[in-house]
Amino acid sequence: MRNSHPLCSTVLIAAMLPAVLVRAQLQFQPPTPGELKMTADPDAPGADAVYLNIEETDNNPMSYESHYARIKVLTEKGKEMATVELPYLNLSSKVTDIKGRTIHADGTIVPLNVKPEDLMIAKSGDEQFKRKVFTLPSVEVGSILEYRYDISNCDQKYGGCFVVPPTWEIQKSHFVHRAHYQFTPPPSLMPAHASASFTDLSTWADSHGRIIQSIAFLQRLQPGSAVKVGTTAYTVDATDVPPVPTEEWMPPLASLLYRVSFYYTFARNGTEFWQSDGKLWSQDVDKFAEPSKAIKNALNGLVAPGDSDLDKAKKLYAAVEALDNTDYSRRKTASEMKELGIKAAKHAEDTWAQKSGTSEDIAMLYLAMLRAAGLNAIAVKVVDRDKGIFDPSYLTLYQLDATLVALNAGGKQMVLDPGEKMCPFGTVNWRHSGAGGINQSDKGIQISTTPEQSYKDNSVNRVADLTLDAHGGVTGYVQIVMAGQKGLQWRQAALRNDDTELKKQFDHDELEGLVPEGVEAHVDHFLGVDQPGQNLMAVVKVTGTLGTATAKRLLLPGLFFETRAGAPFVNEEKRLEPVDMHFAERITDDVTYHLPAGMTVEGAPQDASVPWQGHAVFILKSKADAGQIEVVNTLARAFSEAKPEEYQDLRGFYQQVAAAEQAQLVLKIAPAASAAPAAPATSTPAGKGN
Amino acid sequence: MKSAFCLRMHLVSVLSAALLAGAAVPAHAGLFGKDSPVPQWGLDAAKTPTPANIGDASAVILFDEYVEAIDGQGRAVEREREAIRILKPQARHEFCAVSYDVDEKINYFREWTLAADGKTFQAKDTDFVDVGAGEEDAVRDIPILLQTEKTRIVRPPAEDVGATILCESEELMAPWKREKVWNIQEGRFVYEALEIDLPPGSQFAESWHRYQPVKPVEDAPNHWRWEIKDMPRLDLRDVKASPAWDALAARMSVRWGDLAADGRDNQWRALGEWIEQLETNRPSPSPEISAKAQELTAGSSDFFAKLTAITAYIQKNIRYFVIERGIGGYQAHFASDIYRNRYGDCKDKTTLLISMLQAVGIRAHYLQVDSDRGVVDPDSPSLYSDHMITAIEIPSGFKDPRLQAVVTAKDGMRYLIFDPTDERTPVGNLPSYLQGGYGLLATGPSSQVIELPVLDPSANGSERSGKFTLAADGTLSGSVDTLNFGPQGAELRQFLKFTDEKERREYWESMVARDLPGVVLDSFQFVEPDSLAKPLEFHFKVTAHQYAHMAGPLLLVRPRVLGSAARYFDDKPRKVPFDLEATGRWHNSFDIALPTGYVVDETPDPVDLDMDFASYHASVTAKDNVLHYERTYTVRQVELPADRAADFRKFESTILSDEKGTAVLRKQ
Repeated sequence: MRNSHPLCSTVLIAAMLPAVLVRAQLQFQPPTPGELKMTADPDAPGADAVYLNIEETDNNPMSYESHYARIKVLTEKGKEMATVELPYLNLSSKVTDIKGRTIHADGTIVPLNVKPEDLMIAKSGDEQFKRKVFTLPSVEVGSILEYRYDISNCDQKYGGCFVVPPTWEIQKSHFVHRAHYQFTPPPSLMPAHASASFTDLSTWADSHGRIIQSIAFLQRLQPGSAVKVGTTAYTVDATDVPPVPTEEWMPPLASLLYRVSFYYTFARNGTEFWQSDGKLWSQDVDKFAEPSKAIKNALNGLVAPGDSDLDKAKKLYAAVEALDNTDYSRRKTASEMKELGIKAAKHAEDTWAQKSGTSEDIAMLYLAMLRAAGLNAIAVKVVDRDKGIFDPSYLTLYQLDATLVALNAGGKQMVLDPGEKMCPFGTVNWRHSGAGGINQSDKGIQISTTPEQSYKDNSVNRVADLTLDAHGGVTGYVQIVMAGQKGLQWRQAALRNDDTELKKQFDHDELEGLVPEGVEAHVDHFLGVDQPGQNLMAVVKVTGTLGTATAKRLLLPGLFFETRAGAPFVNEEKRLEPVDMHFAERITDDVTYHLPAGMTVEGAPQDASVPWQGHAVFILKSKADAGQIEVVNTLARAFSEAKPEEYQDLRGFYQQVAAAEQAQLVLKIAPAASAAPAAPATSTPAGKGN
Repeated sequence: MKSAFCLRMHLVSVLSAALLAGAAVPAHAGLFGKDSPVPQWGLDAAKTPTPANIGDASAVILFDEYVEAIDGQGRAVEREREAIRILKPQARHEFCAVSYDVDEKINYFREWTLAADGKTFQAKDTDFVDVGAGEEDAVRDIPILLQTEKTRIVRPPAEDVGATILCESEELMAPWKREKVWNIQEGRFVYEALEIDLPPGSQFAESWHRYQPVKPVEDAPNHWRWEIKDMPRLDLRDVKASPAWDALAARMSVRWGDLAADGRDNQWRALGEWIEQLETNRPSPSPEISAKAQELTAGSSDFFAKLTAITAYIQKNIRYFVIERGIGGYQAHFASDIYRNRYGDCKDKTTLLISMLQAVGIRAHYLQVDSDRGVVDPDSPSLYSDHMITAIEIPSGFKDPRLQAVVTAKDGMRYLIFDPTDERTPVGNLPSYLQGGYGLLATGPSSQVIELPVLDPSANGSERSGKFTLAADGTLSGSVDTLNFGPQGAELRQFLKFTDEKERREYWESMVARDLPGVVLDSFQFVEPDSLAKPLEFHFKVTAHQYAHMAGPLLLVRPRVLGSAARYFDDKPRKVPFDLEATGRWHNSFDIALPTGYVVDETPDPVDLDMDFASYHASVTAKDNVLHYERTYTVRQVELPADRAADFRKFESTILSDEKGTAVLRKQ
């Protein structure tokens, strides 16, 4: 099945316009004395460079763009801004009139006199994705870099020009003092001319034959800034634009950055768009997922007439999950499909016949089977939350990535994710939870959001049984039981790797940094890797030196796990952007230390409870018995997202957790045993540090 | 920290799967993907059984054969045939690739797949894609080294476990290439071969790196063939403290034309002469260069003063950037262009340095090296390397203790070794990654391979002192003062260059947080980071809550507050040497004022360990309610043989034990 309707793309190639040669290129401007003398920018403290000016002019009737930038270099690192890359699609666009110069702090001007290099990025037949690269000469700290170039969006081979509505990335890698953007569309599409007929492009329509009615735009701008609609053009003036944020656990960057994205559309408003495009999408879904005779036949042997609706749904889910999901194995190449006489699936029965399909194909097949079994099921199309956030005001289906199935069984609706290989029935990949999108309904298309997951859905339990010797040596096993997202993650990794490689990856990704310095932890084996309905368990072997012995004592980290991993946010004092930790979860560690003979507990980790009301809690308890001590701690995080204004509470919570995780365990050596000399550590994952 | 990579001499035969994934657009193979039957060599290769001893390999290369046909002008046409069997799921994205540059041409490139079920496929035009070989710095996300080189990649159809992939390509190589480097450990090979077909009367020279030379067979007049069977893959993925893969992997170099000579020394000489000829006139100083050099050295009284003035100028003012086009991977730009534009790569920086030195009467030469120690092998003459630095002639009789990186050549000439690409290591010193390696000194007829010096530990390291106060609730606060010497200081300076204030704070806070979880960096200051002649001063103040921990009536505190010298070690059998990275001396001295009402009940034992390659001394004392920690860590060698694994473990475990050592305080 095709992914979505090819509507409202930001690059519209339906109209071929005659090239117009009269253009107004943006001009260099003399620097002010203040700009020349500037050594630091109070508006951007510590910045290595700042944009003094950015200008972009896009003229669709003339099919050209003109770009201009002026940059002040403030530090050695800022000199790297002298290198400029201009990606372009060869043949359908052309970068021309590149001019540049470097202005030293004393006003000396050094022009760019080296021809820009034309480098290939990727080539596909006649079409090449390329980049022009140039670097401005003689750059010094204090220099002003200035360059401009034009892009002509005309076909270099067959003639004719393209209409390319612009996307303005207002937020850059560096602070921007002033930016001016201007977009001139075909005059008849400006609101001032909305009633006029679009005579020069009267056949301009999308792939469904809908006449282009208007220009729409997504705008995400800083407060106080907005797209201005003129009589002939749209403009944006932005000042003091902060650089692209870089913070840990940020939502998808694409959903945060200031930008304006124009597109042509048939729709005059969002309601019209979603109902019209949504309807087309729904029709496509219903066509592909038609419960045809072949699908109904396929149900024979999979479900029994006496099965409950829920049992039927589970059995059919298992059947489609068992198919070859090519997003986790390998998609056949076009030549391979031709050789095998296989065609891209157009109906669910094709996917079933091939026993193979993409995640999308398999989700739609499941929908078809549910419907063939008489169940009430609809398709849901959602954004991948790892890539973006759904914005209903952005009138395009391209922002939606995955197809889910919503099943109504026994009066209860559940969202299922059959396109996710190894995803247990009843749950979804976190990327599809709390995700916005659209769904089918009796009343037409609805905009909706899938349910968030509870921390109870995603848990990791680490149970360690460790035996200590008198020198601090440790041996034992850890059982790591994963339910929910962690189990899904590693089961999917197992589809792409053999057992040996899977163990290595688990050692590297999960265990390194999890256990204390001096201790090695390696997966011995997994249990339940191919049984998504059950918990996944990793059995881990532990050896090494955990503690340090003194004449009278053995000193150990109170908590075996996470002692080196470090809690997040502890070092990040301020927060600009929301926090996105993907999914809620609960991690429980239960560690039993068997003590060496003759040793007793002199000091145990203090019991602690660190709550962040309504959001998270950390609990630590220890219990000493004869010959052993058990330390149990749980971190339950009920949230996956937090607002910037909640950040100080969040940080305070993790600071307390980090401190609690540093608790120590002190064992006292009985007088007879205290003569044992301290042995050196036997292994360490440490690197040479600071 | 490595310097930027500069020369493109490592020929790419297999690219990462990530590159293929990034090439989203299928390409036409043009004439290269035409239908043709599965070749007999492929059918024969596919009959090869999978060896039992494949280790962790996910694919096995059943057959790999290169044939280099050299014409009368020395230009090569290279044909490669390769058969790969997919053994594990993670190998389903293996592919064949052919790299080519502006003056090269792929004559044909075909691929067939023999699927596990017996079906046969051939890759079509849509299965090929060309991608540019632009190399981008992942850390800085700014392109500093770009190339015109491209790579054609084929995505094999039906590439499932059990399938055998057959690839055959033929490429007209650049007219100036006179060497084939045969990497023989890039995979698990069952059989691999290299043939060279020379015109009558032509000679070749061969050299082997980390492999017993194989005797070639003359299949036909002046047509030579080397064969290797059952070559294991060199897998260093889980080997910590390992030298670079290129330094350890077996390879063979065969050269022809002007690069073919008899005997090791003559071969190095031929290579040096080739470099010098390639760079002829490139360093010639223009009037502007001469004037600048004179201006910089005006008033400089001696050799070292002149040298410092010019090297510092180039380090500070010539930005690292280049787009390499064809032979530009080897050949520098003209000094006048480099000076005018104020940017270039390592060859360019060396060229401008030679030029400016020449303008003030100091002779200097190209010295081709690798940024990974051990890649340039004195017993294996080859151009295989990735970096160019400078060898500066030291006037007879001139001595200065600041000239540490000095080499004496066979003819008695003394050279100061200097890397102008490293913008932060002062002249006289040498970046650690170059120490102990080898380089090709291009001095015309006296060209030779030279060993780069390993500097005394006093040339590198740091002096760190900290004064802290411990509160009864476990909070530690205080200040730390550090002096960073030599390459250690250079690395820190380089870090400062490529970070802004916010990044520095974040980085340093995260570094300190390794030892002090939850730390707040109250302030930090670098003093005169641009002054290469002085050690780099770094001062910072910290507060760490709950640094010391209550355990019943005890308060536990780690006297070694900051910094770790311990390296990873394990008990696995060791087959490759340990890379100790750098010689140097690191000294720490920390004082912790204890909270009122507490006395020291126990302190860790002192450590005194002295071995030939390194030493470690540490002690903890308590006096006047102050806990004092002092340690000196010295490294004297840059590499330790694999058979010294027990010593390495003993040494590192001793450091680790000391670093974890805890003092026990008891409430009075």
